[in-house]
Amino acid sequence: MSFDSPSSLAGSSASSAHAAVLDTDALERLRELDPLGKSRLLERVLRAFEASARRLARQFGEARAAGDMQGIRHVVHTLKSSSASIGAVCLARLCAEIEASIRIEAFASLPERLDAMDRELAAVLQAVTPMLSAAGTPT
Amino acid sequence: MTLRVEPSADDLPERPRVLLVDDDEVNLLLTSVALQDQGFDVIEASGGEQALRVLADWLPDIVVLDAVMPGLDGFETCRELRSLPGFESLPVLMLTGLDDDASITRAYEAGATDFFVKSTQWSLLAGRLRYLLRASRTRVELERSKSRLARAQDLARMGSFDWRRGQNGPVFSIEGLRVFGLGAGEQPAFRSLLRMIPEEERKAFLELTHSAMDRSTVLATDVHARLVDGRQRIVHIEAEPEFNEHGNLVGYTGIVQDVTDRRLAEDRIRHLANFDTLTGLPNRRQLIWRAERALEHGRRLGHEVALLLIDLDRFKVINDTLGHGAGDDLLIEVSRRLRSCVRHSDQVLESSLESVGVRSHRTLEAVGRLGGDEFVALLPEVSDEEDAERVATRILEVMRKPIMIGLQECFVTASVGIAIFPRDGTTVADLLRNSDIAMYAVKSAGRNSSSLYRPNLAGKGREKLELESALHKAIERNELVLHYQPKIDVRGARMIGAEALMRWRRHGQLVAPGDFIPLAEETGLIIPLSEWAIRETARQARVWQDNFGFADSIAVNLPSRLFERTDLVEYIHNAVTTYGVPHHAIELEITETGLMKDLQNVIPSLHRLNEIGVEISIDDFGTGYSSLAYLTTLPISELKIDRSFVRDLGMTPQSSAVVTAIIALARSLGLRVIAEGVENLRQMEVLHRLGCGIMQGFLFSKPQPPEDIERWLQQTVLPKKAPWIGQASSHDNAEPVRVRAREPRGKPIGKLP
Repeated sequence: MSFDSPSSLAGSSASSAHAAVLDTDALERLRELDPLGKSRLLERVLRAFEASARRLARQFGEARAAGDMQGIRHVVHTLKSSSASIGAVCLARLCAEIEASIRIEAFASLPERLDAMDRELAAVLQAVTPMLSAAGTPT
Repeated sequence: MTLRVEPSADDLPERPRVLLVDDDEVNLLLTSVALQDQGFDVIEASGGEQALRVLADWLPDIVVLDAVMPGLDGFETCRELRSLPGFESLPVLMLTGLDDDASITRAYEAGATDFFVKSTQWSLLAGRLRYLLRASRTRVELERSKSRLARAQDLARMGSFDWRRGQNGPVFSIEGLRVFGLGAGEQPAFRSLLRMIPEEERKAFLELTHSAMDRSTVLATDVHARLVDGRQRIVHIEAEPEFNEHGNLVGYTGIVQDVTDRRLAEDRIRHLANFDTLTGLPNRRQLIWRAERALEHGRRLGHEVALLLIDLDRFKVINDTLGHGAGDDLLIEVSRRLRSCVRHSDQVLESSLESVGVRSHRTLEAVGRLGGDEFVALLPEVSDEEDAERVATRILEVMRKPIMIGLQECFVTASVGIAIFPRDGTTVADLLRNSDIAMYAVKSAGRNSSSLYRPNLAGKGREKLELESALHKAIERNELVLHYQPKIDVRGARMIGAEALMRWRRHGQLVAPGDFIPLAEETGLIIPLSEWAIRETARQARVWQDNFGFADSIAVNLPSRLFERTDLVEYIHNAVTTYGVPHHAIELEITETGLMKDLQNVIPSLHRLNEIGVEISIDDFGTGYSSLAYLTTLPISELKIDRSFVRDLGMTPQSSAVVTAIIALARSLGLRVIAEGVENLRQMEVLHRLGCGIMQGFLFSKPQPPEDIERWLQQTVLPKKAPWIGQASSHDNAEPVRVRAREPRGKPIGKLP
């Protein structure tokens, strides 16, 4: 998995790109927590997400390569709630499905799901990164 | 600056402190910001280990824990936290995933207070936290009030119990076990509790509990219990029935309380209220209560009840001569003897009194002390009056043996009056009064005997009889007082002595001497009355001697029959030496009539009195038919001109003739002469001109209480302010007297004859 393949975002504006992977309602709720942008909350949240997501993406790759199911489970569990928080609804749903599958040991469709999650995570990061440079100014 | 107010259950801290633990930075940040926005102070920790480190020196109001974390996860953290001292009841909220049922169960097992599904609806979390904080406050309050209750129960030696149907026995709280002297964990079986109750009480207690359970009613009773360690206690049990939704009795819940101390105190109070402290006998109140119960029984069962009033003869003499301590000892011994004359029961079983038909009223029988030297024997059932008389005879009999008081042998007799229900009265008050009348009849007939009440006693006039019996008690009740009228030396304008006149203060009013002296004469009471007057006069002489150097004599009126008594001289001697005044401090007045009636018997006394220095004055002189021959031989010192002659002075020529004659006679015999009943200045002038310089009367002073006499001396005599002062020496002055003496009108108050 790599983050330097901008295929899905090529040619599109940042706003239209994140509209696909980030739920605008969720983002709106985040802004409401800091309506005047005084504490630069949105920026801090997105930065925290980015840092944590990049770390988790690395852990995910390692765990998957090692076939470490509990490692994967931990990654998706954490990612599940943090992605939900920033409105990455699709990623959060994928994480929840994977976590549930591992819990009930239903590994049949797991590889496809893991691939899908991998892609979605890349897309979310792709959407988040440009927002960070523009952070503080509401979109 | 805000004032910090102690928070209560409804009043949360202004900004509750939250320890927020989550390994996910995004969630941690967002939750933290959201909670701060909702009014919480948040400290964040990114994992279990860090959370426990924070808790080492900071106490939050609530902890929010993410369940799934790397390292020490939420469950482990919660378990650790709970084991720390002081964190046992700190509210902990566990955050779990939506579909994570297993975590919910685990959360509770780890000691979490509640769980919450992670959500991006931050305000929901804040609401839940507030709810948890309130619940926790309430719980803390509850714990506090529970421990306060436990402490209160401990202080009250009280504990609770619970009994469920089908259980072997009641289940007690720790405090409840303590009441029975048991430790925590020693839940006793019902049978072993029963064994603590004395056998004779056990059956009644079982019946009571069974009947309460059968009827599903409240159980409230006191039982005696002998605890395992041998202590005897009284335990109060009170329990209420509990019902299930069908209205069936499912058990009892209640309290047990050690009421031993309270019961002992109550018993003591009851005893003090109902028994005489000196003799231990039932007191007036208890006696009246018993007598009322006895009358009820008599009425119902149709039998007679007898009330014996026992009054000791001359107890006052013993008290006065041997002292009150000796008097008390004597009363105690008399009480002991009186008790032996009846089937005396100290305790009346009130419950048994309610049962009809049995002879339970027998327990009412008792001797009680009404007060002073008065006792009552209550015989709750007599077959006839002879029954009561037999008891009276026994009473007189047991008194016959001398009573040793210290080293002194005392002989005490009693007078007993008997009244029988229903013949002599249907109320306790009537019976008491009539037994008193009967007792008084014994006294006047010479004491040391008993008498049944007879209507003819009342025929003497109830009022008179009541007056008689009241007068009988007047001395010991301190109802008698002496007033004093000064004897004046008119020329010197000074007081040279006084006459003591008796007054009876009854129910706050003065009874005129004319209303009780004749009665006292008739009944013989005049003797103790006179004896009292002698002692009181001696005492007063001493008071005046101390207060203003009084060195003259005070005259006491005595009836002639007192002069017949061989111990009169000794009695006076004792009285004056008791108070440390000379014998001449007391002067005795005897009426001319009284003297002449008993001359032969009186003369020896007069001589002996004269020998010890007690002077004798002949009162009302001129009214009798004195044998002048005798007068010359009698050891008397003074003649008192009767008031009737003084009153008529200047109005009838005879009166001044008699007065002139008396003065002449007195002079020839070497006797003092004094005029009494002097009411105005004209009388004073005439008397003075005729040669009588000593006078007594309203012109100078009416009879007054001793302290008023002192004031009169201070304010009238010494400053020479009275109209009569100066008149005597200037009576031949041509100026007519203009100043009228202010004096009360009306009949002069009488005096002892």
